[in-house]
Parts: sequence; structure tokens; C-alpha cells
Amino acid sequence: MADSPIVELQGLCAGYGEIQVLWGIDIAVRRGEITALIGSNGAGKTTLMRALSGLIPTQGGIYFADDKDVTGDRAAQILARGIVHVPEGRRLFGAMSVEDNLLMGAYSRKVSRGELNRDLDRVYGTFPKLCDRRHQAAATLSGGEQQMCAIGRGLMSAPRLLMIDELSLGLSPLLVEQLVAALRALNAEGMSILLVEQDVITALDLCHSAFIMDMGRIVRHGEGAQLLADPIIRDAYLGVLET
Amino acid sequence: MLAAQIIINALVLGCLYACIAIGFSLVWGVLNVINLIHGSIIVLGAYLAWGAYQSMAISPWYVLPVAVPVFFVFGYLLQRLLLNRVLHAPVLVTLTLTFGLDLILNNAMIYFFKADYRKLTLKPPMGSVSLFHVVVPVDRLIATVLALALTGLLYLLLRHSRIGRAIVAVRLDRDAAILMGVDVRSIYAIAFGIGAALAGCAGVLMALIFPISALTSSSYLDKAFVVCVLGGLGSVSGALAGGLLLALVEGIGSAAIGPAYATTLSFALLIVFLLFRPQGLLGRKGFE
Repeated sequence: MADSPIVELQGLCAGYGEIQVLWGIDIAVRRGEITALIGSNGAGKTTLMRALSGLIPTQGGIYFADDKDVTGDRAAQILARGIVHVPEGRRLFGAMSVEDNLLMGAYSRKVSRGELNRDLDRVYGTFPKLCDRRHQAAATLSGGEQQMCAIGRGLMSAPRLLMIDELSLGLSPLLVEQLVAALRALNAEGMSILLVEQDVITALDLCHSAFIMDMGRIVRHGEGAQLLADPIIRDAYLGVLET
Repeated sequence: MLAAQIIINALVLGCLYACIAIGFSLVWGVLNVINLIHGSIIVLGAYLAWGAYQSMAISPWYVLPVAVPVFFVFGYLLQRLLLNRVLHAPVLVTLTLTFGLDLILNNAMIYFFKADYRKLTLKPPMGSVSLFHVVVPVDRLIATVLALALTGLLYLLLRHSRIGRAIVAVRLDRDAAILMGVDVRSIYAIAFGIGAALAGCAGVLMALIFPISALTSSSYLDKAFVVCVLGGLGSVSGALAGGLLLALVEGIGSAAIGPAYATTLSFALLIVFLLFRPQGLLGRKGFE
């Protein structure tokens, strides 16, 4: 059990109505690790995240979570397994306060108010800036604070696997560093993380292993450091740095 | 003194208008459904108050605690069994469905209660209070306070309860709410139930002030619609602002150019708002 993947896909296909985006995805996300999902725009990374969280139906293949077949489960059922999706673009409830956003993260958990407050304090401990702005409308936060709020909202769902879509999009390098440090700390406490990231260096540096996607398929898989040294990867994704 | 009386009357009426409109506004805002059965539910509430008083001499205030669960369940089931099926259909389909339901409920009321106008008159009358020559009947005053209390309750529910947060979240971002594990269909049904409960309660309060007949349902629906456009969708405070504005315009209009033109004036204002300030006085995207 300890060695079994937290999430495993076998030949998963998914898309939007008539349009198929994912063509037979095989991945295994290892427990307690940080896994990165890399690929160019339109490779299908976000669609894969949406299929994993049950936002869109699968069109084929099998989806295992903790060795159980959860293919076709609804978003709420997948969330109840501790598989939590922090969506691209943060998707905060803009008119609601930061704290109400965080509380929405815990919506489906049947826990006491005391436990909720302890979890809130933990999120505020991870992201002290959110505490200062807890009563402010989420829409008025800066981009970095919004990403903190979105991750904090995800943490309030008590994740065992935290899936973050586009961690660094639109954020300053300094903020990205802070977020990366926060993710490392969460991972050190045992949380598994699946990360979709545009910034290949950040992603490969942070992750234990990575999957590379192209045209709705997984085209490569390996350890982060190993991929970072791979000449083909360097050529395709890090070309600029070779000069 | 006449001016003061007009303004006080408008305040009293405005709170009741707000109470008519908030349920309508909530359903419109959260489900994106223009609920044409709203007016008939208000009338049904008025008949409930009238019947309770005629047959058992129960004052409308004591009918409210019964009306809330009864109308909530009515609205909840209506949404779960019927509206849910057409929610993602084009807007014309939801309009047609609620229009048809309205015809059924309205004609059922005409069948059971006849088309005669009824009046709920408290015996003995509660009299009126006067201050600086401004006179307000006590029963109206109580109705206003209760209408305000209901409006405030909805505000608190949406702001500070788990279910309220989920309703607001669904309105703001449906997909993100699903990611939080919110069962959107059930939230829709609850929102519709709350809308129906508020309509029923508004009807109970209206029974004290206006004559009761199924034929008045469209005027309530019109008022709810105008209040929502004037005040802006998406907030309890917007409904309150819209209600007060509508009552003021009607009151001043009636005094200045005659009661026959009051409705004309309010709809002219509606057109002006749609042209120049379509988001209304306090319209916003969230529901607070």
C-alpha cells in the first residue's frame, strides 16, 4: 500500500463533448512525492487535471485512486478521497472574503468549528499574508496573494494529493520562490503534490519525477534531475538557456 | 407635512417591496431563472394568511413561522422535480416552464378562492400611531418591521452560514464550487426553496395591506422585476434600495400627477435604468 501510487491512470481518454483531448494517458503519481506535469500550451495538461478531479467525464480508460477504481466518480466523491484540485486561474470567489474562500475549501468536510479554526490557523501559518487580509474580498488581492488563497483553499479540503494547475503563472520570481518553499514544506509533512507548470526549470527542480505531455499524450517520463540533464528536453523546452 | 407623510409611506411600502423582490432576485441571480411563478406564490401566501384569520382567527404574524417551512418545501420540490430538468436549456424554456406553472397555480387559486377580492381586516383594528402629524397604521408598521427582519435574515444566512456561502459560491463560479464538493443541484433547490419561502412570507404580510385576489399576482411579479432592475441583481442591499426607490417614485408620482400614473411612472423609470444604468443602483456579481 505504501508503495502503491496514490493516483494511477491506464489509457485514460477525455475531452469536451465531441472533441477528444486526451488520448490514452498512462501515469502513476507516487505517494509522498512531488510530481510535475510539463508540456506546451494545448498539450492537454489542464484537461488532465479536470479529468482527475472529476470536473469532466472520462471517455475511456481506467482511473485508480488508492488502488480503487474511481472511473466515473463525481467531483465530490473524488474530493472526499483527499484529491484536491487548485484550478488554473485560481478561480477564487472574488466577492467573498479571504476567510470565506478558505471556509469554502472545507465545505464538504464534516468537522467541528474548532477543527476548522485550527486548519485556518495552519493556512495562516503557511501564508501569513492571508491572515492580514482575511476579511478583504478575494478579488482585491494581488496575484501572488490570490494564488496563496487558492492553495490555502485547497489545503482546507484536507488534501492527501494536492493538484495545482499553473502555480507560477503571472507571478514574480520572488513570489514563486515563496510558493515553492511552501510546497516543499507541505511535501515534507507527507503531502503528495501534482504540479502543472509552465516554468520547466522550476518544475523539474522542485519535483521528484515528471511527465511530459504533448498533443494529449504522455511522451516522456523520468526523475526531475534526470530530465533536467536530458539533451532532448533541454533542446525542446530549455532551448533559450543553451545560448 | 404632506411631503413627510409621502416619504414615510414610501419607506413602509419600500421595505415590503424589497421583501417581494429578494426571493425573486436570489433565484434570478443564482439559478439564472426568471421565475414567473413568484407573483402567484405571493398571492398564495396572502390566501394562507387570510384563511388562517378567517377560519381560526390566527393573526398573520403567527402564520409566518408556518409559511416559511411550507413554502420552502414547495419551492424545493418544484425545483428538484421540474426546473432541474430544464436548467441548462435555453432561457425561453425556463421562462415557458415557470409561465406554465404560474398559469396552473393562478387558475387553481381562482378555482378554489373565486376571483373576488378578499380583505383581511384585523378585529379589533390595531389603530395607528402618529408623530408630528405623520400617521402610520400599526399593522402596516409591524408588517414593515417583519419584512425588514426577513430581509435581514436572508442577508445573515448568505453571509454567515455554510449553506449561504455555498449559494454565493455557486453564483460566483459554478465550476469552482463543484471543486469544493458543492452539490450544485441541491444548492439550486435550496435557493429556489428560500425564494419561495420569502415570496410566501411577503404574501402573508401583503395580506394586511392589499386586497387579496389571484388577479393581483402579475402586479407583484412586475414589482419584483422592477425592484430587481432598479436596485441591481446580486445583493440584498440592492433589493432594499430598489424597493425604496420604487416606493418613493410611486408615492411622489401619485401625489404629483395622480395615482393612475404611478405604475406608468415606475415602468418609465425601469426603461431609463435599462438604458443608462443596466446594472442598477447596487448591482454586483456576487450575492451578499
